[in-house]
Amino acid sequence: MTLAEYFITAEPYYRAVGDEIALFEAAYATRMPVMLKGPTGCGKTRFIEHMAWRLAKPILTVACHEDMTASDLVGRYLLDSNGTVWHDGPLTLAVRHGAICYLDEIVEARQDTTVVIHPLTDDRRVLPLEKKGDLIPAHPDFQIVISYNPGYQSVLKDLKESTKQRFSAIEFGYPAAAIEAEIVMHEAGIGAGDAARLVAIGERSRHLKGHGLEEGASTRMLIHAGRLLAKGISMEAACRVALILPITDDLDMREALSAAVGACL
Amino acid sequence: MDAVREALDLVRPQVARAFPGALAEDFARACREVASEAPPGLVLAYARGAPAMVPFVGREAALALAGMVAEVARAAGNHAALLLAGAAPIAARMTADAAAFAIWLRAIVALAEAGAGPVVSVLGRTESLLDDLGAAGFARWVREGLRATEAAPEGRHAFFVGDSAAGRAAQARAAGEIGLAALDRGLGLFAAALWGEMPMLQAAAPGADGRQRRTSFMGPVVRLPPAFRGVAAEDAVLLYRASVAHVMAHRRFGGPRFPVGGLKPLQIALVSLIEDARVEHLAMRALPGLRRLWLPHHVARPEGVLSASSLLARLARALIDPAYEDGNPWVEKGRRMVAAASPEDPAASRRIGNLLGNDLGQMRVQFNPRTHVVEPLYRDDNLGLWDFDDGGESDLDAEALPQPARHVGEAAGPSPSETRAAEAGRARAVAEESEIGIPVARYPEWDHLIRAARHDWTTVVEYAPPAADPHALAALLGRDHVLLERIAALIRAARISRPLRLRRQAEGEQFDLDAALTAAIDQRAGLTPDPRLYTRFVRRARDLATLLLLDASRSTDDRIPGTTRRVLDLEVEAAALFGRALQRVGDPFAIRAFCSNRRSDVRYYRIKEFQEPYDTGTERRLAGLGGQYSTRIGAALRHAGAELAARSTYRRLLLVVTDGEPSDIDVVDRRYLAEDARRAVQDLARRGIDVFCVGLDGGGENHLARIFGARNVLHIGRLERLPESLAKLYFRLTGG
Repeated sequence: MTLAEYFITAEPYYRAVGDEIALFEAAYATRMPVMLKGPTGCGKTRFIEHMAWRLAKPILTVACHEDMTASDLVGRYLLDSNGTVWHDGPLTLAVRHGAICYLDEIVEARQDTTVVIHPLTDDRRVLPLEKKGDLIPAHPDFQIVISYNPGYQSVLKDLKESTKQRFSAIEFGYPAAAIEAEIVMHEAGIGAGDAARLVAIGERSRHLKGHGLEEGASTRMLIHAGRLLAKGISMEAACRVALILPITDDLDMREALSAAVGACL
Repeated sequence: MDAVREALDLVRPQVARAFPGALAEDFARACREVASEAPPGLVLAYARGAPAMVPFVGREAALALAGMVAEVARAAGNHAALLLAGAAPIAARMTADAAAFAIWLRAIVALAEAGAGPVVSVLGRTESLLDDLGAAGFARWVREGLRATEAAPEGRHAFFVGDSAAGRAAQARAAGEIGLAALDRGLGLFAAALWGEMPMLQAAAPGADGRQRRTSFMGPVVRLPPAFRGVAAEDAVLLYRASVAHVMAHRRFGGPRFPVGGLKPLQIALVSLIEDARVEHLAMRALPGLRRLWLPHHVARPEGVLSASSLLARLARALIDPAYEDGNPWVEKGRRMVAAASPEDPAASRRIGNLLGNDLGQMRVQFNPRTHVVEPLYRDDNLGLWDFDDGGESDLDAEALPQPARHVGEAAGPSPSETRAAEAGRARAVAEESEIGIPVARYPEWDHLIRAARHDWTTVVEYAPPAADPHALAALLGRDHVLLERIAALIRAARISRPLRLRRQAEGEQFDLDAALTAAIDQRAGLTPDPRLYTRFVRRARDLATLLLLDASRSTDDRIPGTTRRVLDLEVEAAALFGRALQRVGDPFAIRAFCSNRRSDVRYYRIKEFQEPYDTGTERRLAGLGGQYSTRIGAALRHAGAELAARSTYRRLLLVVTDGEPSDIDVVDRRYLAEDARRAVQDLARRGIDVFCVGLDGGGENHLARIFGARNVLHIGRLERLPESLAKLYFRLTGG
């Protein structure tokens, strides 16, 4: 098995905001585990896909969730006509064949689950398969990357200190207005003027973080609005559908956001 | 019946037009209805007025008026009825709608039932009142006036005649249709969205002369008129937004305040105007849509009398509206000078304003700083732009400013209801003021009659809870240890948390994949498979924060019939039992007590904090609680809810222990506080806080069910019933 289907063939669009590409390349050069931190929809997943393409490595993405067990990561015995057969989990696949293993929203998984990655993230670089009694040394190309949104989880859901301290971290935020406009323009296929206006609107919603909004409109939301715009929807309607309605149920907040959208146009 | 015939003869042509043919008989019958109650003059007045109404509100309304005239005559005398007959055609013409006219008429009848004085005065001003308020606003104003003066009818006349500040304020509120109170959160969010800064919005108290205040700002505080008179609801929202956006533009792009120095009032007005245009220009450069918000308010036109004020308004328009053409050389010069200056430079505003002021002086146009009003309406009074050398409040400096800018810094006078309460004087055992409290929060209060929240109406004041010897309480609880065990066991059994998945269970809803595989493998290998193949979800851990809110009002000081114990004793004992039980289980909980002494002093005692252990200190404070003052429960609920909202547990429970009906000495309407509390409970429920009430029998059963919902109230007569009640409560909470 060569993980052929896990290679990214076409270049995923990614607009560098700072030195994150150089940082990641340096971290990859030493196979250092990397944590991507930042609010939702700011480009963490896109970035790692872009890096996998740039480094020409396969990437296995696991969306973590509360019910995920270590078996879901590592693998388990399954039955077939001849008896049992071991089936590698995504993490094991990546370790064996030298892929980047990307654990998205790692805090959603229970803390005891995430402990299985510990032996991979220090200088041992091995994955013990407890059920099989195997110890798999990591392929030289293997790297582990996790994403982590520091904002929204409760105190109950945080990484263990012992997990956190195994990672280097690259922080992502919403890009500066000009860069974000460039991204929205490219991804949504709209003109520079519309993109700049959408970004200005996004900035207005981000001002309301902490005043009743958990999080402002993400770059992803702005792109959604831009795509509606590209299909001929009016700016007001696109913003209402793609930004305001999804983000809040609070009527005052909706009104204020609508008025702010109006002020930007 | 002669009077009727006589009257009909006098108005025959009008009647024939309004009630042709057989319909005339209906009208004659209506006239007879009036005649049965009142003297001939009144019949004539009705016969004259009613036909004139027909084109506007229809025949039925005109006929129905007869009954109302008769009723007003009965309730408030013939003079009032006469005025009504005269005012009705005016009201009909102004409302021009049968439904709106009926609203007006009902309000008049309600007013008449409250006495002759007010209704006579109000009917005399029908035209101006309807012009200002509209029928619905008028009805609202009358309702509010009647309720505000319920306790003190002697103030009623002043309210409706317009002699009282309360009456004027209510009129302003009703006129604006929608006021700041309803909009301020949205406005704050709007400003924060635009500039990332949340302004402190306050309602400006009306001026001593009853004139509407302008928007003003000083430091971070932005004062807005409580309502814009004569502006319809949808326009008021836009006007408020325009005002806030303008002030925020000053805050964002303004430089340091200008020193007044030797500037003349006209120059000050001009510099302010140029500065207004400058900050708006910068704001629109960032947010072009603001132009649409501001432009509709610039309505100055290049015509009419040349006065300084009109030229200023025209210049203001010329500076914001590129499409506007004004032939006046001075206006065009101002436009050119501003266009040539750097918009980033506040000093340019001062320079240009000075020069233009000199020019205007040479043109010898009149400028009266006392009557000058900053145009257009959304702009502020510009006081916040100027720095007065000596701190800003000297008479001289204030004189230098255009009139409307003057009354800013003064404190709001005593509010109408405070004075009302003082007048009412139905004090219920007002205790000596010996404690010093700290005001911690203000909350709105819901008025069920006007169906609107009164903004920042109540003030919650925290007091240090007095301590007392807890021994009696401890001894009492010592006897109750069996009870205590039962409660603790019950609480422990209640499972309140996120669902957890249990694996390898003997029964459950789903297969546990790993267990099933192991079992299948074992089976093939000839081993005995483990039967625990299932997985299921349970609530195992407890994740619940509880706030226990005790009613410590005067009524809890009463003895329970047939015993020697006070209601409060029962409350304290229940709280102590519950506290001890919760302490054993280890759940976070807090204990608070409240009572109220008017809306300005809702007393809030922090008996126990969430993080501190339940110990003798807590019991000392519990034992020290004394029943005093009244029960303004809505404000206490809101404050306790706000505290709970800050907890990050899975469930949040507000447990209220009270003995009955909410009341306070400044409230006469028995339903008012109950409806407010009901509203508070609904608001908390929306925020995910469970509110539950334990009612100690005091006869207020219906009120509690109305406030909390019948499912959320438990009545306890004897302390022995507490564990049973708690069991019910937790049963409900776990959804079992």
